Amino acid sequence: MKIYPFFLKCTFAYLFITTQFACSPIKFIKPLKKNQHGAMVSLGGPLIKYGSATIPIPFLTANYGYGIDSTLTGFASFNVTSALFGNFQMELGATKQLLKQKKYFPSISFTPVANIIFRNKDAYKLYPQIAMNAFWEYGKRKNLIYFSLDNWFEFAKKRAHEVKQTNHWIFMPTAGHIFTGKKWSFTVEAKIIAPNLSNEKLVVEYQTPLKNNGAFGIYLGCTRKF
Amino acid sequence: MKKIFFSILIGISFTSCLRLDDNLYNPNVTKITSYKLDNYTGDIDFRLDASYQIHDSLIHIFQLYSQAADESNPTKIYALYIGNTNNIATDTVIMYCHGNRDHMDFYWPRAKLLANTKNKNRFGVMMVDYRGYGLSEGAPTENGLYADVDAALKWLKNKGLTNNRLVIYGFSMGSAPATRLSSEDYSMKPSKLILEAPFASAEVMVQDASGIAMPGTFFTDLKINNAEEIKKVQQPFLWMHGESDNFININTHGAIVYGAHTGIYKEAHRIANAEHGNVPDIFGFQNYLAAVGNFITNH
Repeated sequence: MKIYPFFLKCTFAYLFITTQFACSPIKFIKPLKKNQHGAMVSLGGPLIKYGSATIPIPFLTANYGYGIDSTLTGFASFNVTSALFGNFQMELGATKQLLKQKKYFPSISFTPVANIIFRNKDAYKLYPQIAMNAFWEYGKRKNLIYFSLDNWFEFAKKRAHEVKQTNHWIFMPTAGHIFTGKKWSFTVEAKIIAPNLSNEKLVVEYQTPLKNNGAFGIYLGCTRKF
Repeated sequence: MKKIFFSILIGISFTSCLRLDDNLYNPNVTKITSYKLDNYTGDIDFRLDASYQIHDSLIHIFQLYSQAADESNPTKIYALYIGNTNNIATDTVIMYCHGNRDHMDFYWPRAKLLANTKNKNRFGVMMVDYRGYGLSEGAPTENGLYADVDAALKWLKNKGLTNNRLVIYGFSMGSAPATRLSSEDYSMKPSKLILEAPFASAEVMVQDASGIAMPGTFFTDLKINNAEEIKKVQQPFLWMHGESDNFININTHGAIVYGAHTGIYKEAHRIANAEHGNVPDIFGFQNYLAAVGNFITNH
């Protein structure tokens, strides 16, 4: 296929869309301690082919969390990339730990989120999300390995021009590692975004091990606890 | 401090203006200093053999002045007419609205091909470089697209063309001015509409890319909406689209536009294995010309 330069130009344009809305940022997997605060900045997104290079999309979020008790952390994240498009996008959610780690059996937590996007009275959306997380702490520093299944729901029945909306569930299997320090921690996360959906005829050329389905994303996060 | 930080973030949301609008336009990928037409060496979608050649005396490149309703000064744009300008008062003319890329040199093979519809030079063919494209001055805008094509229609009208002998053809982005000028009141009202690989709306672009039903206005201020505009088109309508179009999806864009037309006649050609830029080639030039020619003469 002849690659129009327009395609490449649009790649950068449209990847912002998919990045912002189909790819959640890094969340709190393990709750903070009671009354502890955490401020996180995360950057990253799906890998796409741009010219001859494969690059992750710069997707920036700022996230603040508070330990309501030792098993429950409430958080709010602000989507900076979305803000650059003039949209106010915020995720309000909580991470609740259900089970503690017992040897090789992981800790289990879940994270319900309300993803709110507002532009004006005619253009706003609310997307519910829920993630199930399993994590293991190890070593002196209590570094953390985790696996997560993040689910995003679209409840709209119709798209533009009264066309039926067929995608109602986007899921994202995720794996990550948190390097834990006293005050700071650093997160590396990889996720497969929407492996149930075709990525063909979408303009953006995603680089994914699933070839014609989904996208593969890489994210980096930095958290300061205080 | 926290209040200031959050105020800044929220402030960014309501004052930022990153938009995807400019990505609709992709002029002058290959820059030119003059129009070369057959001698153009830049990238093109397909090449025609010598049997499609047009005699130099029937190729006219000239300037027009275009002024949108919200502009105080006209913009100088370039236009091309294939045919005998003295016969416009009696000829049928195809107004070809080109796509979003480059300039008229890139689209020259397409215009030349159309000039071979039925017989060589049976129909006149008109094309303009929208503002910001080729040697046309200014920068591309949505209203500018409509104004620039309308400037061409004014020129044709002054040469004696009447509505019943005007056919408008829009390819890709050109589907926007072609549909708009078929449905709204401009200098002329085409008697027939042909769209090749049209897009439905900017909102569908956004929703195709995201996979979910988000408002297009999250990312674009473009008002282009062919799927709505074509509901007002009563003229006969011919639609062609590549089934393998990876840019403007045949099902989410072209088929929606086609389905929304409720005029007196419509005809569809879904071209197997054709992508966005090669419908005439994959269709077969002669098949393509027969489809266009029969549509113009029979409906």
